[in-house]
Amino acid sequence: MDEAASHLERDHVHSVYERIAPYFNDSRYKAWPKVKQFLLEQEPGSIVVDVGCGNGKYLHINEDIFKLGCDVCRPLVDSAWSRGHEVQLCDGLRLPYRDGCFDAVLSIAVIHHMSTKERRIRAIKEMARTLRVGGRIMIYVWAMEQKRRKFEKQDIFIPWNPNPPLSPALRERGNGTQSVSDDSASSDKHKKVRSTSSMLDESGDLISPGQQKQQRLWFFSRSLDSVLDFTSLTVSRSSSSTLQSPVDEASESRSRRTSSRGLIRQMSSLFSSSSRTSLEEDVFISDPNEQVHKNDNRSSGNGNETVPVELVHDCSAVPLPDLVSYQRDQSTLEGHVEVDGKSSQQEPLQRQESTASLLESDGMSGQSSEQLKDSCLRYYHVFREGELTQFGRTVGG
Amino acid sequence: MKLLTHNMLTSHVKGVTKGYPLIIKATEVKVNELEFNAQFVSRMIPKLEWNALIQAAEWLGRSQDLPSTLIPNYENDEEFLHKVHRILLEVEVIEGCLQCPESGREFPISKGVPNMLLIEDE
Repeated sequence: MDEAASHLERDHVHSVYERIAPYFNDSRYKAWPKVKQFLLEQEPGSIVVDVGCGNGKYLHINEDIFKLGCDVCRPLVDSAWSRGHEVQLCDGLRLPYRDGCFDAVLSIAVIHHMSTKERRIRAIKEMARTLRVGGRIMIYVWAMEQKRRKFEKQDIFIPWNPNPPLSPALRERGNGTQSVSDDSASSDKHKKVRSTSSMLDESGDLISPGQQKQQRLWFFSRSLDSVLDFTSLTVSRSSSSTLQSPVDEASESRSRRTSSRGLIRQMSSLFSSSSRTSLEEDVFISDPNEQVHKNDNRSSGNGNETVPVELVHDCSAVPLPDLVSYQRDQSTLEGHVEVDGKSSQQEPLQRQESTASLLESDGMSGQSSEQLKDSCLRYYHVFREGELTQFGRTVGG
Repeated sequence: MKLLTHNMLTSHVKGVTKGYPLIIKATEVKVNELEFNAQFVSRMIPKLEWNALIQAAEWLGRSQDLPSTLIPNYENDEEFLHKVHRILLEVEVIEGCLQCPESGREFPISKGVPNMLLIEDE
């Protein structure tokens, strides 16, 4: 099982990242505010490790602390090195650091790439091992419950798009949002809330009354902190044998998040116009209360209704199953966006105003990009609400 | 790889219990100037395995009369802090390897980056 798991990760995580590493320097891949905040909160003279650091985008934050980064992906690690960071090549399941040497550990969008529960727990255990008593760990993973996306399964493959096209509307809002965030780096939450709510309105129009959307947001705020909907866990390693603190920490950070939702949505709105985790191509507006209608007329529909987890090894040939038809449904309803019948693997982000299609240029440019897409299917395990906290409890011992 | 990093690194080969510190075999070393921050250095010192640092400095031929045990009140000894700053942060191993003291397994350092990846069986 572990061998199969590691092969899956090799094919649908490691090799993909190696291929897409050159794109990571695009401006779309920005540091996330909460992570930045976490780093800035560290005491001067702290030692912090970013496990799964990629090209080191968090390693420049806070000059008063010493940061190490590590990753399995050589091109990304080399890129981080060239920026002057201290980085190593290593595997998150076997960290080459001595026990309790770090004041803080980061794991940002990493363990959702691990293909079994056992490996995810092992990864967290390893990180906890290297963390000193009283140290803090921050883990970010994709949440399953999202307001804009409906995942039918927890284990999925997501294609990566090298050229995410932006609709004029999105681009506008994206720019607007980004400039607001730049301005409000001193955390002017009010501004942030405003910019995000404009986004909500736009999407709110599409499906359901804005209010409903807002309420739902509130309801899902625990796991649904952003448009990209990451769930996060900030944990303190306590000296007691059972890790009581994760539950408290998590709820604490959750309640903090609820009150500072604006900040988080700001972060998310930064990324809605980017393709940081390649979600652009498959993000669509989904109202969880509405039924997702499957359209069987799709020519690309090779087994796209359901993809059982046990068939993951065959999945590279299969487009992402969850997203296919609802998108088309939308376009039928709205009549605004043109859907390219040939585009089979990617689903565009739909906005009411958008006449420029957000269809992947891939879909239209033919064979070679189809192949690139096929070979750039990344495996993700999206986390149910509470799943990550549970892991924390398992680990604390 | 800086020696501050090296101080955190250990061999994680299966079955090894005494994998720290990793023996440094350097073929290329660089010294860069880095802005001195006394507070940073003095706060870093308690987090180090001091003996490992002394050994590492020796392996690089840069013992620079660093004391084998920490002097009391080192926080106020500027000269000392400067020495520590230099050895911890300014000296970098660009090429070479790190050897597990117990198993002998060598982890290559290339272009400043140690490769700590193990093969499946290790």
